[in-house]
Amino acid sequence: MIRLLVLALALYLTAPPAGFAQSLQDVLQTHRDEVLKPGRRSVGIVLDDLVASGLPQALPFLEAWRDREIVQRDSDGLFFRARKQSLYDLDTGEVIGVFEKNNLTASRPNGGVRRAIANALVQFQMSDPDIVKRRAAVDAVARSMDASQLEPLAASIDAEADAALKARKSRLVSMLRALFEDTTNARVEAINTLAGDLSVDVRAVLNKVLASEAGVAAKLPDNENIARVLEVGEDITAENAYAWLVEAELAPPLVSNAQIRDALLTNINSGMVGTLPVAALNTEAARALAYDQLAAEGLAPPRVKEAERANAIAEHVFYLAYTEPDPAITDAAQKALTAIETKVALSQTVDLGLDALSLASIYFLAAIGLAITFGVMGVINMAHGEFIMMGAYTGFVVQQFVPDYTVSIVVALPLAFAITFAAGVLMERLVIRHLYQRPLETLLATFGISIALQQLAKNIFGTQARPLTSPEWLDGALAFNDVIAISYIRIAIFALALMFLALILFVLKRTRLGLEVRAVTQNPGMAASMGINPDRINMLTFGLGSGIAGIAGVAIGLYAKVTSEMGADYIVQSFMTVVVGGVGNVWGTLAGASMIGFLQKGIEWLYPSNTLAAQTYMILFIILFIQFRPKGIVALKGRAAAD
Amino acid sequence: MRKTFLMQNPSVLWFISLLAVFTIAVTLMSEATGVSLISTSFIKTLGKTLCLCLVAIAMDVVWGYCGILSLGHFAFFGIGGYAIGMWLMYARTETIVAQSLASQPIPPTSQEISDAIGNQIFGVVGSSEFPMIWAFADNLFLQLLMVVLVPGLLALVFGWLAFRSRVTGVYLSILTQAMTLALALYLFQNDSGLRGNNGLSGLQNIPGFEDTSQATISIVFFMASALALGAGYVFFAWIVSGKMGSVVKGIRDNEARVRFLGYHVESYKLFIFTTTAVVAAISGALYYPQAGIINPGEIAPIASIYLAVWVAIGGRGRLYGAVIGAAFVSLLSSWFTGGGAPDINLGFYTIQWTDWWLVLLGLSFVAVTLFFPKGIGGLFDYLVRKQP
Repeated sequence: MIRLLVLALALYLTAPPAGFAQSLQDVLQTHRDEVLKPGRRSVGIVLDDLVASGLPQALPFLEAWRDREIVQRDSDGLFFRARKQSLYDLDTGEVIGVFEKNNLTASRPNGGVRRAIANALVQFQMSDPDIVKRRAAVDAVARSMDASQLEPLAASIDAEADAALKARKSRLVSMLRALFEDTTNARVEAINTLAGDLSVDVRAVLNKVLASEAGVAAKLPDNENIARVLEVGEDITAENAYAWLVEAELAPPLVSNAQIRDALLTNINSGMVGTLPVAALNTEAARALAYDQLAAEGLAPPRVKEAERANAIAEHVFYLAYTEPDPAITDAAQKALTAIETKVALSQTVDLGLDALSLASIYFLAAIGLAITFGVMGVINMAHGEFIMMGAYTGFVVQQFVPDYTVSIVVALPLAFAITFAAGVLMERLVIRHLYQRPLETLLATFGISIALQQLAKNIFGTQARPLTSPEWLDGALAFNDVIAISYIRIAIFALALMFLALILFVLKRTRLGLEVRAVTQNPGMAASMGINPDRINMLTFGLGSGIAGIAGVAIGLYAKVTSEMGADYIVQSFMTVVVGGVGNVWGTLAGASMIGFLQKGIEWLYPSNTLAAQTYMILFIILFIQFRPKGIVALKGRAAAD
Repeated sequence: MRKTFLMQNPSVLWFISLLAVFTIAVTLMSEATGVSLISTSFIKTLGKTLCLCLVAIAMDVVWGYCGILSLGHFAFFGIGGYAIGMWLMYARTETIVAQSLASQPIPPTSQEISDAIGNQIFGVVGSSEFPMIWAFADNLFLQLLMVVLVPGLLALVFGWLAFRSRVTGVYLSILTQAMTLALALYLFQNDSGLRGNNGLSGLQNIPGFEDTSQATISIVFFMASALALGAGYVFFAWIVSGKMGSVVKGIRDNEARVRFLGYHVESYKLFIFTTTAVVAAISGALYYPQAGIINPGEIAPIASIYLAVWVAIGGRGRLYGAVIGAAFVSLLSSWFTGGGAPDINLGFYTIQWTDWWLVLLGLSFVAVTLFFPKGIGGLFDYLVRKQP
């Protein structure tokens, strides 16, 4: 007994003190009747008080109320939430008993009341102190785009503290106004405020305003807001036009070949259809003849003749009519949309340009090493792609040992250079040195090395693609507006390409090594007689070109997958870059890479769904380009040009 | 006294005799004659190898004799295969469709037949329309003409463009490789009209010979391949041995001098390039009915490079060298990759040849280029020189 008393006391103490007026239950108790039997007018008082109380538990209460889960206990008039056979306290949210139908009365708000509640809910969420919840609420409004949300949303704008969210809210209000405001003027005004906004949802709103329906009639109707009249043969095909007529029940449906066949099948009489034997029905003309006989007997609907079809089409007007009846609104929307689309097209062009630039920088990185070896030594290195692959795998291996991605990239770049530099020097010493007089055979020997290296990588790392994770600060994209965006990785690659351009130009033009390299490029014999050791220069050049390929490999691995075949994907493009640009010239490679990058993106833009077609046409273009400038964009002149 | 063609080229006689003996021996030992010493699948492998030898000869002529390292001749080979494959696939599907439509109560119209065939062939790429390029697929004679004309015209146009602007050396190699890549990429598309990635399949079933056993068909194709190889060998031996051969070899050794002597170098190169492309296409048309399937992967640039590898290993500048190289490397390759070669246990690591064969091929290729530029065929020089 004492135990029970203690328990009761404990319960009393833990319950919120009755004197503290701001419990949800208290607010509800002051409006007991309105909560139990809400009417469309009376509910407003309750909602106002709830909003004014600012209680966080009012939100789940409103949701429960809207979902018809609020019940009143008959004995003391307290309200609870009933859910899955349990009763929940409204303030604490804890289970306090089982649901018993007999002593509980449910509050059953009708449709109008529930809408009012939903509005209040939005308002609640809109002015929630937690910005995350406010954002979620705005997201929900943007998703549903419902007329009822206009008022609460507009009401919450003034009190909004966060500037970005405020801007978003007022934009959303404009969009809702454009769709749902009562008067023409108000809607036109709202539409005008939307002009110049490039985002997809604004365009969706305008398109919604401009939604049109296909119509067909004998005469152009006066009572509809006509978008445009369609010319048969130009805007729509005759087949489609006739299909519209059939759909509007203005013309009899065509009899298809399949229907003819079915009708003939059901009317075969002892090997004959009408007067024709079945065996003769193997042409469309014969079938049509037999069908016409059936139609004459009333066994099938008659065929629509070609002339009838043409007549029916000629006698009707085909048009698109806006679902929005007010021309002032559709005109404003059309104007706004045109303005937006012009801006979008401009932005897309800029975006395409940025994409092309980043592609060009990738090609430049991949090809510059090749250009050096090819230009200086006249040696085709088919294993260049495999050096790119080696660089990428170096990055992958480094990441296995260095967990920090930033550090691992910083380590991987010089390491990749060192490894591929060594591999390049080794290859030059062992193989290429012996083949300087036979350039075609260098091509084949390096190809042999290429397949060996590729298979070796497959044996070591397996066939599945290995990830090379970029550091966090390279995630995401730099967005200028809703259309123009470029990922940070691509910016980094662009910066890397610029760095290498500067570095190579510096090495070639400002250092002793560069001077000697240029001398050997121009005339190896003469350079040798001036005291330059061409062997050493060749070795170093080859190492340098290979080392750059390794670094390009790390960069490419960051945004593409690392596989043993990745080198092969870049080798042909790299060769194209070098050949198009002109051999033995850094600027030529830059020009070649830019041209191929921009060209590829341009063709991809023309054929958006088909990257294979883009590559095919690009290669064809390059083949033709070589016809007119066989020595590339930047051609060497004079004696150096003779090969 | 003028020597006859065969007297000048004893190797031709040797080659033809050996090929004849080999063909007769294989035919006698095949399943078709009932002896069954050689399985049908191996007959097909041998037949395919003969086709590869033929395309290798073409490659040898264009590279070893004329000095044009074309990395596109396997593309012509593939085009030939596609051209014949279109007829094989169309005709066979037509038979099947006609059979299935014959059971219906009303005889089919020609439109219905064509629709049904289109559905059968292009269903895999989500289409049922016949593309323009299939216009001649229903006629064997026209399609056989396509085998020769399509690659011939392609080579003619490409070669004319390339040689006219004096693209030579490695540039030309890269350009031909680009052409091959473009072709392969084009064929990979689903809307190319050649079933994209799926390629053409079921080519081993010859329409009209459904009742003939594969053993017989395989031996017929084997003999046809041998015949084509023999004819191709003699044809090219004749081309490269006469006055024209001297000019062609001159172009290889020093193009500028030949031009200064008054020869129209471009025409010679174009002739060699186009002729070898046509021969490559013919060998492809013989190869793919034996292989049974062709897809764009077969045309990829790597295939053409392997072709160059065969010729280089066999020995450039001699026709039998190309034959030896193609036969040797392709048979060895299928032996190694097919699991025929025993694994080597090194204690700490077991070398499985399916994984390491390409490494071995790559390295031996480097070795051949470095140390035996004459290839396997160079060994014959020692044999011949020993005789007084």
